[in-house]
Amino acid sequence: MHRFVLLLATTLAAVVAPSAATAADPAEIALTIEENRFQPEEVRVKAGAPFVLVVTNRDKTAEEFESRELRIEKVIPPGKTVRLRVPALKAGTYPFVGEYHEKTAKGRIVAE
Amino acid sequence: MAATFVVTLREGFEAALLLGIVYACLDRFGARDHYRWVTLGGVLGLVASILMGIAVTLLSGPLLDLGPDLVGAAVIFAAVGLLTWHGWWMSRHAQALRGDVQRRVAEAEATRRLSVLGLIAFTGVFREGAETVLFLWGLVSQTAEGASWDRLAGGALGVATAAALGWAVFHGGTRLSVRHFFTVTSVVLLLVAAGLFSTGLGKLQGLGFLPPADAFWDTSFLLSDRGLVGGFATGLVGYRARPTLIEITGYALYLVVASALFFGGRRATGPR
Repeated sequence: MHRFVLLLATTLAAVVAPSAATAADPAEIALTIEENRFQPEEVRVKAGAPFVLVVTNRDKTAEEFESRELRIEKVIPPGKTVRLRVPALKAGTYPFVGEYHEKTAKGRIVAE
Repeated sequence: MAATFVVTLREGFEAALLLGIVYACLDRFGARDHYRWVTLGGVLGLVASILMGIAVTLLSGPLLDLGPDLVGAAVIFAAVGLLTWHGWWMSRHAQALRGDVQRRVAEAEATRRLSVLGLIAFTGVFREGAETVLFLWGLVSQTAEGASWDRLAGGALGVATAAALGWAVFHGGTRLSVRHFFTVTSVVLLLVAAGLFSTGLGKLQGLGFLPPADAFWDTSFLLSDRGLVGGFATGLVGYRARPTLIEITGYALYLVVASALFFGGRRATGPR
């Protein structure tokens, strides 16, 4: 019984908090949204290594971080920060936009 | 104005299409007095979207990082399940559906079809609902703070245009003969569900639950999935300019399996 509870607890911990459990934490890259633009607009990462995009929305309105290439579509409420886990990328350029302000909010991830 | 118009039209189109179809289904069942089921589903979908929009602005940390995406993926696969079930039901009951009105209503009521149509309306609205609510709310608050009206007007016009398209689908559907209606509906639902299924798989790839992959081909030079036409193609047949192998395989597999479910039984139950 105890063993079962322990097993359940570890399974839950593994599922719920994968970020806490990983041995080598992936690199974190900060990205800010301000006045409907990304700062910086070009993010350079190492190809072949997963990373975390930490996106902070400093505007007063929501923005949607969207990258068709990365299959990420994520609403970021005003004043909030979200962490987007990105898997290892092949070398190349991966554009992203702020869907709610597509004209100004544009950027790209360059994996090299 | 044009930019916000495209956003809300693109987000609202799929919901409007599904609502148009399920209302038309009720009409063709001869069950117009049961419209309330679909209306209820749509309204609950809207309420859920607003609650989700509020929740997202209150949440933070891992709940915000992952929560809305898990709900989003669950809604997509629930919608695929409901649409598949409905298409399969239509093929199983093809004979009754081509019978007289009383028989159609009786069949739909006996098999609880009406609440399933309501659930389809719910998932259709809820799927992109929270995004649209937050987007419109942003436009409203910007306008309240003195931004010009045209961005808000564009967003509102996009929603209205999506609704008008949904109404056109409904109106067109009810003008078809019963027999053609169920065939056309089966084909449309098949394509919409296949598109949703591959979208869901892509979402799971983006979340890291399925292995990531590069685009298998790239047709963005022909038709970008960011524009208006590409957006319609996405809502209608699940068009992706740069799909992954998992998305393509999922789409094809769904088409094969669901075609067998939707049309395989027709020969046995259909008219001679």
